[in-house]
Amino acid sequence: MCGISAVTGNSDIVQVLFESLKSLEYRGYDSCGMAVVRHGEVAVRKNVGGVDEVNRKEHLSGMAGTTGIAHTRWATHGGVTAQNAHPHSSNNGAFSIVHNGIINNYRELREELTAKGARFVSETDSEAIVHLVALGHQEGGSVEQAFTAALKRLEGTYALALVAAPEPDTIFCARKGSPLALGFSERGNFVASDMNAFLAYTRDALPLQDGEYAVVSPLGARVRRLADGAAVERPHMRIEWDPESSRRGGYSHFMLKEIFDQPQTIRAALHTPREGVEQLAGSILAARQTYLMGVGTTHYVATVGQYFFSRFAGRYLPAVSADEFRELAVIGPGDLLISISQSGETYDTRQATDLAKARGARTAGIVNVMGSSLSLMTDQVIFQGSGPEICVVSTKAALAQMVILLRTALAVGVRSGHILEAVSQAQYEALEAFPPIVQDALNEVSGFVRNLANRTVQYHNWLVLGRGIYYGIALEAALKMKEVTYLHVEALPAGFLKHGTLAMVDDTMASLFLVPPPEEIELHQLTLTAIEQVKARNGAVVGFYFEGDTRAEELLDDGVALPRVPAAVAPFMTLIVGQLFSYFSALRLGRSIDKPRNLAKSVTVG
Amino acid sequence: MKAVILAAARSDRLKPFTATRAKPMIRVAGRPILEYMTESLKSAGIRDVLIVVNHKRESISSVFEHGHGHGLNIEYIVQEQVDGIGGALRRCEQHLGQEAFVLVYGDVLTTGTPFGPLLEQFAEGGGAVAGLSLPAESGEFGNVYLNQEMKIVRLVEKPTDRHLSNYVFAGLYVLPPAIFGLLEKRKGNMELCYQDLIHDGKLYGSLWDGGWIDITRPWHILDANRMVMDRWRQAEIHTSVKFQGHVHIEGPVHIEENVEIGSGTVLKGPCYIGRDCYVGNNTLIRQYSSLGPGSVVGYGTELKNCVLFGQSVLGRLSFIGDSVIGERVHLGTGVTTVNFLGEKRVLGIDTEEGAVDSGRNKLGAFIGDDVVIGARHVLRPGTSVRAGATVEDHFTLKSIL
Repeated sequence: MCGISAVTGNSDIVQVLFESLKSLEYRGYDSCGMAVVRHGEVAVRKNVGGVDEVNRKEHLSGMAGTTGIAHTRWATHGGVTAQNAHPHSSNNGAFSIVHNGIINNYRELREELTAKGARFVSETDSEAIVHLVALGHQEGGSVEQAFTAALKRLEGTYALALVAAPEPDTIFCARKGSPLALGFSERGNFVASDMNAFLAYTRDALPLQDGEYAVVSPLGARVRRLADGAAVERPHMRIEWDPESSRRGGYSHFMLKEIFDQPQTIRAALHTPREGVEQLAGSILAARQTYLMGVGTTHYVATVGQYFFSRFAGRYLPAVSADEFRELAVIGPGDLLISISQSGETYDTRQATDLAKARGARTAGIVNVMGSSLSLMTDQVIFQGSGPEICVVSTKAALAQMVILLRTALAVGVRSGHILEAVSQAQYEALEAFPPIVQDALNEVSGFVRNLANRTVQYHNWLVLGRGIYYGIALEAALKMKEVTYLHVEALPAGFLKHGTLAMVDDTMASLFLVPPPEEIELHQLTLTAIEQVKARNGAVVGFYFEGDTRAEELLDDGVALPRVPAAVAPFMTLIVGQLFSYFSALRLGRSIDKPRNLAKSVTVG
Repeated sequence: MKAVILAAARSDRLKPFTATRAKPMIRVAGRPILEYMTESLKSAGIRDVLIVVNHKRESISSVFEHGHGHGLNIEYIVQEQVDGIGGALRRCEQHLGQEAFVLVYGDVLTTGTPFGPLLEQFAEGGGAVAGLSLPAESGEFGNVYLNQEMKIVRLVEKPTDRHLSNYVFAGLYVLPPAIFGLLEKRKGNMELCYQDLIHDGKLYGSLWDGGWIDITRPWHILDANRMVMDRWRQAEIHTSVKFQGHVHIEGPVHIEENVEIGSGTVLKGPCYIGRDCYVGNNTLIRQYSSLGPGSVVGYGTELKNCVLFGQSVLGRLSFIGDSVIGERVHLGTGVTTVNFLGEKRVLGIDTEEGAVDSGRNKLGAFIGDDVVIGARHVLRPGTSVRAGATVEDHFTLKSIL
């Protein structure tokens, strides 16, 4: 999820390039930079931060030249540092490149290139490409020859653009597995990962296809197939439709896209470096008292996490809402605070983390955005690697955080001897097998979920009920419902019902039960009992239960059967279906799904 | 980029209306569904349109001609053999050249413009794109499986209750010229070409969550009409409209030029009255009624959720509900459609292949073009009358001498 833009024109293009870079910022960013060719030299300016911030630090818009490349980066590998920001340059400074994608044979290339004398200054895979081109060019031949020879060495995916001092009016670009399009205008010709980058200047476009490269100058572009060098003749496209201000990749809403991203998000959360998880587990074991802290969704993530630590690590780690932390938590030297935040900028969470630091406690973060405030202020941090989340309502980021808490709980459990290594192993196996099941469920269950949402649209008051960890899930599911449907939805532990809330129940109130799989014998029975209590008061009872659970199916008025999965991952399946239910309910009600009223993505103010 | 619109089929399931017209010429809210789709194409910058025609092709060409009146360049491609979508596309091949094109099935109606997102997905994905939609009727399921990159990974041919997805092909595509090679290989079978594209990971989806409907049965015309009108937010009344005395109007009522409406009439929007209509005194025109151009509605008549294609005359003191009336129909005084037999009775229509269930409990009559129904007839729910039929007046009393 990075953005590439490049322009070559007959007059100075820096302002155009800068503006087009800004129009790519919505994709998420943690650093950015530009390289501009002038007087046969390539000047590069880059740093950490958003486009405006880097402009203040580096004065990007003060550069000058007629050909340039630009990049906004969302780090997935390698830290957020100025060195890791794009563009990357060859050691002689004559070549500079911006790249999206992943180069799989990066390690071999790096070794080979280092042996040939290339000096790597970043931790990125992208840098290898520019050294390949530069060393190839030294051996003789044209830039284009060196460029295509380099491309042929790359395994993996890329969309990339290169500028070269020897050919100062040219952009070399190529595509394989990542989008890239050319645009043609009076001001100059463009290369961009996303047509939003140039639609302010032209609607005359030519998307590249996989396996093609192009040589772009102010006069036009030559497109060729990489494999055999054959020229590609394709008519340009005239972009007459109004582009979406941001790409939803074919999905009608970012929320749905991000729900569908979750198989990948789970995989990523499962494969964040083990050392990070072990380190965090070590800190928990060393601490006198550990608090889990978040606010909003991340508070519910912490609440779900409590159950993991209780079950697998035999420890009670209180989940404290960040806004109440100051009043509630007794924290000092020897204690540990684990702060959870998607953006890493959440005001309440930063405040509470500051407080913990001031009192001498150790701090840790689980964060999605590299280089964010929280990731810089905590003593240790785990990046969840979920990719940018654009819908205001969090889905995939929350699930990934839960997976990381589960991994941490397992590590603490094994190291403290509370569970056997084999138990942890079994949980990991269930998690590894989970993503394809989620993928199928998203396809196969969502039709049922949508129809359930359509059938229950008349209810404006909802309770979401669960027991044990399903209570944690209920809290998060209810928050999703509130955020996107604007309905009155409250979660509570199913056992709590008869101690007051039952008085509210009548035939205008619907209750959504999150029924655990039957092998969770006690939780399952307790949940069924609660269903009976609501039913007896004429409340509508709907629920998510697992296939084969005939008792739940008989008791519930309506519901959706979920595919059977191991008990360890069953709460996650319930959560995903809860997200879909919120989505389709909101769709039926015609709500503004990606930007619910009164809400903002990252609450950075108090 | 050019668009190909498929409009050749006979569409027997939409009889009696398709006996006398090509399916895309069915009118809702006063306009042929073809016009909604060409407008939508235009808003995405597509003006060059190939319409594949055969059955009742003059019903299209006499209205759209070569498109200049609609801001389009239309070419007609005649598909006389019944050889499917593949056959239709092969006939278009030389007109399309080596350029990607948009393919639109002629029985599809959407609100808004799905072509923008479709073309955008094509531009970014670089492969064929299929528009996907939620099934029009709640309670139905889809059969398209997606992965997280929005590639279509599987089509379930016969969905069972265990494997139900949420999305269906919307009948809207962007296809690269490579499709013609595939068609050659698959002997013109388009379904197999789609399967090949899916198998090779070359078919991307683009979800459309705006209005969408596949018009295959006569009552779908009522659904389509409702879908269009549900988007209306305000009344639009042409300055030439004459109200004779007090006319009560509420909701988004659209009235075109040169319409005359008698005193005491109540119009409840959303409803549509086309140009040159005459609406008599004390009539009640309720929600989702659509009067095509040149319609005449007699004194004291009530209309509710019905579509009149145009040029028809409804006699005085009639009731027409949940019904579709073709062009130049004449209904005598006091004709009543019965549209309801109780909550539990699911109604259907009679066809040449037997009764077909509509799944709904309110259903009126479906009357083809140029039908004459005499005075005082009471029409059973689901009555279908073929084009051109004449039914004598219904008398309950003759002379007593």
